[in-house]
Amino acid sequence: MLPSAAFFLCLSLLPLAMLVAFSFIKGNLGSDGSIAAWTVDNFVRMFSSWTFSKLMLKSVGIGLLVTLICIILAYPAAWGVAKIFKAKNRNTMVMLAIVPFFTSQLLLIYAMMLILQSGGLLMTLLGNLGLADSSGSILYSTPAVVIVLVYEYLPYMILSLYSSLESVEDNLIYASHTLGAGRFKTFINVVLPVSFPGLLSGIMLVLIPSVGSFVEPGLVGGSDGMMVGSLINSQFSTVLDMGYGSALSFVFLIILSLIMFIIRTLTNRANKSIGGIA
Amino acid sequence: MKKNTFNLAVRIWTILVYLFLFTPILVIIIMSFNGNKYGTLPIDFSFQWYVQLFSGNSDLLKATGLSLSFSILVAVTAMILGTVTAIGMQQMPGKWRERYRSVTSLPVVIPWLVQAIALLMIFNFIGLGRSYIGMFLGNTAIVVPYVIMMVLGRFGDADDNTENAARTLGAKPVRIFFDVTLYKLVPGIISGTLMSFIVCFNSFCIQYYLAPFGVRTLPLEIFTLVRSGYTPDMNALATIMVVATTTIVMILNKLGYSAKNIIG
Repeated sequence: MLPSAAFFLCLSLLPLAMLVAFSFIKGNLGSDGSIAAWTVDNFVRMFSSWTFSKLMLKSVGIGLLVTLICIILAYPAAWGVAKIFKAKNRNTMVMLAIVPFFTSQLLLIYAMMLILQSGGLLMTLLGNLGLADSSGSILYSTPAVVIVLVYEYLPYMILSLYSSLESVEDNLIYASHTLGAGRFKTFINVVLPVSFPGLLSGIMLVLIPSVGSFVEPGLVGGSDGMMVGSLINSQFSTVLDMGYGSALSFVFLIILSLIMFIIRTLTNRANKSIGGIA
Repeated sequence: MKKNTFNLAVRIWTILVYLFLFTPILVIIIMSFNGNKYGTLPIDFSFQWYVQLFSGNSDLLKATGLSLSFSILVAVTAMILGTVTAIGMQQMPGKWRERYRSVTSLPVVIPWLVQAIALLMIFNFIGLGRSYIGMFLGNTAIVVPYVIMMVLGRFGDADDNTENAARTLGAKPVRIFFDVTLYKLVPGIISGTLMSFIVCFNSFCIQYYLAPFGVRTLPLEIFTLVRSGYTPDMNALATIMVVATTTIVMILNKLGYSAKNIIG
């Protein structure tokens, strides 16, 4: 027990505390861990130019868009898996959704790149239908980043919605119909409230990593595809300004927590207003 | 009649969503058997990329070996640490258990990018820098929560009756622990360890920041290759990995592991 407490203290809480502290240092740590000077310049610099704010806004926008697309795609699919497909096939379909969940993120990106590249499956298909030039491609653009992120995180949304929708009792739906409620009313008053916890955890699982993504914009985003994660990453890989990088991560973490707090509050309120439980 | 149309629409939607998920993976699998170097059609059926992959000098194979042994080490460490922690947490008073649970699940909630940066900074600060030790500690930190979650889940499922029965029948506490409690936890321990293994094996972000300079684990190797475009021997490796993942998922499923376990 005690060793594990020490482990989490040293590798989880302490690094975060240090990150906050390091966001007040000037430039890099010395090779012996020495600190050049303490300063608030990092924060002044962050908010005096528009670069950070613009990228942050763009990343949150992309994250919300990705989350929304995932909900639209996953909700009916999760309902289908939980209620409409035969119980015998249900297990297989859930397992199928777990496979990409466990597959290397980079392999998924690579797979999507093969589909999207010029002369790839999608462009050839569109070219044959006469809708687009098959030698063109939407790779290396912001839409490509959105598609790749949706592809990567869709299984998370399907699985978390499925685990809630599975617990909707068929009897409740029959009861609702018998009492004269229409399809839409039954959905709002019976199905939606039960699925709220799953929806919320799905949103968290999709939104947090997509707002903070830096691999995807780097690989498929092209020159204007940069996101806030790319900016943070560049402070450690190319620009080498660790103090500024820490400050960016710190502010990024605060903004992310704020967004999650807002979403949680909104969902809880919406949930209460339609008579949900949790 | 209206109900049937609705169900049919949902059915078609579900199938389309699954097609979206699996077409890219299927394309990779098909392409791994295409002998043509640039992946152009028609498919020229061949095993040459598999041969090239296993031909000794392949960087991909070396990286896979490194990642496999590294992930096994991390998963076993996480298994021991996570199980002990979960058993300890079970004995805590409820309020403290909840608090401790939120601390242990921090690595799951915080974006890995931030986590990796925080760890790199602290390792730089104590003079460790990028090293095997650092990469090991960092990866262990992000996977231990999964073991804790799974093992605690087993506690939740079972009640204390068996322990009580063993005590009534005169078993000593040590014997009760090994014969009853631990036995009960085994499925949770196995699925938590397997999950740790998979997460560590694929954790690009942590390894990207913490791996020693010049050391390429599989995610790092794939990253380098993806940047350079179409690489047929990677298709072969990807196919093997998808097959392996599917096998592990099937094992997990046999152990009574469901989607709920992952989502928590």
